[in-house]
Amino acid sequence: MRVPRETSVSLSVNLGGLTMKNPVTVASGTFGAGREYSDFVSVASLGAVTTKGVSLHGWEGNASPRIAETPSGMLNSIGLQNPGVEALKAHELPWLAEQGALVIVNVSGHSFDEYVQVIEALEDAPVGAYEVNISCPNVDAGGMTMGCHRPSVETVVKRCREVTRRPLIVKLTPNVTDITEIAKAAEASGADAISLINTLLGMAIDAKRRRPLLARVVGGLSGPAVKPVALRMVWQCHQAVSIPILGMGGITNGTDAVEFMLAGATAVAVGTANFINPEASVEVIDGLIDYCEAQGVNDVNELIGALQWK
Amino acid sequence: MPGLVNEQAAIVANEKVGPGLHLMKLAAPQIAARIKPGQFVHMRLPAMNDHILRRPFSIYDCDRDAGMLEVLYQVVGFGTDHMTGLQVGESTEIIGPVGRGWEVPKDASRCLLVAGGVGAAPLFMLADELMATGRELDVILGAQTVDALVARERYEALLETPPRCSTDDGSFGFSGFCTPLVDQALNDAEGEGRPYDYLAVCGPEPLMKIVVAQAKDHGVFCELSMERRMACGIGACLSCVVDTVAGKKRSCIDGPVFSGQEVVWS
Repeated sequence: MRVPRETSVSLSVNLGGLTMKNPVTVASGTFGAGREYSDFVSVASLGAVTTKGVSLHGWEGNASPRIAETPSGMLNSIGLQNPGVEALKAHELPWLAEQGALVIVNVSGHSFDEYVQVIEALEDAPVGAYEVNISCPNVDAGGMTMGCHRPSVETVVKRCREVTRRPLIVKLTPNVTDITEIAKAAEASGADAISLINTLLGMAIDAKRRRPLLARVVGGLSGPAVKPVALRMVWQCHQAVSIPILGMGGITNGTDAVEFMLAGATAVAVGTANFINPEASVEVIDGLIDYCEAQGVNDVNELIGALQWK
Repeated sequence: MPGLVNEQAAIVANEKVGPGLHLMKLAAPQIAARIKPGQFVHMRLPAMNDHILRRPFSIYDCDRDAGMLEVLYQVVGFGTDHMTGLQVGESTEIIGPVGRGWEVPKDASRCLLVAGGVGAAPLFMLADELMATGRELDVILGAQTVDALVARERYEALLETPPRCSTDDGSFGFSGFCTPLVDQALNDAEGEGRPYDYLAVCGPEPLMKIVVAQAKDHGVFCELSMERRMACGIGACLSCVVDTVAGKKRSCIDGPVFSGQEVVWS
């Protein structure tokens, strides 16, 4: 079980009121609730563990096949399969607390009410922050359908804000004309931070069989292929809002993490890279330390938005 | 229970053994020491950076003392095609031992294994274990052609009665699919007054569906090994789910071996 190496670099960051011991978490849906990865990395050593999207009563998810490999990336259409918030509270959150992990729970719903009910159910559980998922492209109601238009973004964020004082991170979809408009709507409605990007809507086709590779035909693209898009959006949002950003999209190593922080991210999430290398999350922390030490950076906060471009 | 490891595994052999069929030998002492029949490894191939996902492979055979694993693989796409070009001395990275393997009831005394094509691989370690524990064992192997019956000799060397074989083109053994041989074996065993009490099948899904139904008709407990596209391979991503009577289950760690009664066929 791997832990990050020792360093004198100060790694702690504050993500909208959530104090993380280092700026690296995992992207929701790529890490379960941490248990599956605990043979490989110390979940407590991560800045936080972000859990798989959870709904009120649990969802079955989509038909198989649910994934397809694409150039430098993959498509998924899992469809937020989860056993519901009570199962998360009963089995996963106590385990994470026992490990000493800081937890961000990704909250999903088919309706405004459901998001609120999930958060209400979690208020007495050991949770550090909520990530409000209004960006999943693989569900017919809620998810991305809620995250593409200002009015629904404002409603869901305001309604969630009313029921919790915990840090509220709003996860944005890249499948919009102008992500800064959505970021501003989230900020104005009470979000403490935003996270981006969720996956890019895409598809893949088997020409020989004249069939789509995914049962649902379309799915979310992730992995190194999306990194340039994600970096651009983090950079744009950093200029558009003053709340901190949790950046993600194709982060595989420490240098990728540094690039996201330079573009304006306060913290970063490792997603698809966990599938390639189960130690990726800790490797990213180590790589970030390597960079800071080599560049004479004493505090990782110095990197946030430090891109020189004017 | 010891958990999963991510082991650097050097390739010690990688050769063609049949049409589109290759055998890779890997030095992986940690996984070889404790992998069980039916479990698999999740392999990251070298020099395949733009194809980012690992590939799951069942283990054909394992030499625990030498720390060696054998993988019998069929070329089905970019990854397995790339694999055929890997040289001895190159290194793969494998997560293992993953999954729920075959769970033969302790009191099962007469067993039947049914393999279609490369499905012969994940059944061989099971056959070895069943022989070592003194069960009466019959094996049925089906393949498209005689050249594709690459596991036959190994099974012959292991078993007391040689495997019954079928080929789609009639080039060896029974001509046609192997399912009539399964019916015959089930009937013969009943006729002898010593019916099978365990059946394991691995192969293409349409074959497994038929064999599961045959086992059910004869009241024989049956297990099968499911294959799905996988991302993480360790239970986190929910890519590889199989429909079961208890809802969707992960083929990586809830399987790949499931009981015949469990699986709901699409």
